[in-house]
Amino acid sequence: MHLDSSQEKLLRGEGGEAKQFAMEVVTRVGDAVGAGSLVPIKSAHVLAHYSSLHDAGIEVLERFASSGGKFAVPTSVDPASIDLQNWRSFGVPEDYARQQFRLCDAYAKLGGMRCWTCVQYQVCNFPKQGETVAWAESSAVVFANSVLGCRSNKITAGMDVSCAVLGLTPMFGMLEDENRTATVSFKLNLGPLTDLDYRSIGFFTGRRAGARVPVLEGLPASVTSDEIKHLGAGAAAAGPVTMIHLPGITPGSKTASAATAGEKVEQIEVSRSDLAAVEEDLSQTAELPDLVAFGVPHLSVNELGMLSKQLEGRKLKRGVKMYLYTSGQAYEMAERTGIRDSIEASGARLTHSTDAEISPLKRLGFNTVMTNSAKLAEIVSSEGEIRMRYAAQKSIIEEVTS
Amino acid sequence: MKGRGLVAGQAGGGALLSQRAFTFAHGVDPSTGSVTDVRSDIRGANVKGTVLFYPFGKGSTTASSWFLEAVRHGNHPSAIVTEGVDLSAVIGSVMAKVIYGKEIPVVSGVTREQYAKIAPGARVKVTSTKDGARVET
Repeated sequence: MHLDSSQEKLLRGEGGEAKQFAMEVVTRVGDAVGAGSLVPIKSAHVLAHYSSLHDAGIEVLERFASSGGKFAVPTSVDPASIDLQNWRSFGVPEDYARQQFRLCDAYAKLGGMRCWTCVQYQVCNFPKQGETVAWAESSAVVFANSVLGCRSNKITAGMDVSCAVLGLTPMFGMLEDENRTATVSFKLNLGPLTDLDYRSIGFFTGRRAGARVPVLEGLPASVTSDEIKHLGAGAAAAGPVTMIHLPGITPGSKTASAATAGEKVEQIEVSRSDLAAVEEDLSQTAELPDLVAFGVPHLSVNELGMLSKQLEGRKLKRGVKMYLYTSGQAYEMAERTGIRDSIEASGARLTHSTDAEISPLKRLGFNTVMTNSAKLAEIVSSEGEIRMRYAAQKSIIEEVTS
Repeated sequence: MKGRGLVAGQAGGGALLSQRAFTFAHGVDPSTGSVTDVRSDIRGANVKGTVLFYPFGKGSTTASSWFLEAVRHGNHPSAIVTEGVDLSAVIGSVMAKVIYGKEIPVVSGVTREQYAKIAPGARVKVTSTKDGARVET
């Protein structure tokens, strides 16, 4: 990889220890993927949750912070492994919380925005079309490439902070025009779609696309950005997908043929039986759950409002907990507007700055979890410790409330 | 066998061979080195001290930190050999060098068909440099 003279200096340690460490990481990755150079980024999004980073990850982040590292570009952060405000009332053990707070402190010292969300593009990090960013969080990367029209690879833990400290990322993958052309086409012909359908369509697309870039035709004109958020999260949970061309939505892809640059590609029709197979694959049980989790990725204020209407006049059954995961910002707005009170009147709880798939569900005592999130169902089931049920929001609410 | 040297170093160990996509994230218990992934063909095996072969990485981008946690516990493979480039292994290995002073060579470009000829547990030596890598039994 070619480095300019200022980058060479950083690699030699002339910009301090933190930048030297970061350069070690990004240049090795750059060489491994065959990148020609490092290019500037406009923003970064990093991981700082204890459940995946473990004690080793704390040492890495503290090493960056204690050796004088500062984020060179605006940087947001994925959810923590605990509700940073109300963790005690959720039964999180003290020793576990202490390790998460070490990550929080190191992250704050590096100068990051303390927004703790996986939907930074709805909350605190707003790139504009055409910008290059270095984001971790696979669902947000799909949204960035497919809806916002900016350019990001899926940045791995350790590399995320390195890119943020340097304000640079290796030039490869989705940053290059030729890799963004759609190479497989999916077509929907399914009639009206439920919340679950959007997630399952994403999951099916992600699995079948593999390493190819898909174009997806046939979404209704009424599709919302929240629905696309969940579709993208489902796709990214099922495979390496980092972009889905949505004709009329994705900048530069007015039509499917524009997305494929006029090339003929494999066409896959998505049928009801494909979605049923996804539903079956993501459910291991039919028992009443001990936890219902909504909000992987985080719910928007608008989604919280809709949930509060669905929960109106209902009470959670005994033995079932229901957590609604959201960002701190959406939580505060829900509090100010009375949405939180109306949700919690049902016995459900609103929780912020954390998310279900990265929280210690087993340690919190849960054995059966029900959700409409394909991402949550996929991640939790691969560990084989917790049984998952995957169903539509409306049917979950009808089953677990009276 | 020849491959690309992604992270330099020399190491040896018994061959641990997976024919399926592999991940440390939710897939290896860092505190024991045991493979826990329900979808892995080497579930129950231990990666510690082995030369670990798998075709591709998969799953969460947090795999590099799961790998690094295994290094912190001393339960890491002595070398990793893959077919495609697994960025998580590259990043995990680079961080292992900087944080824990451990050298874990990473090599790509060795196909499943090639390493299928190695007997499980056979002694393997890995030499990885910028100019190329050798995997010898």
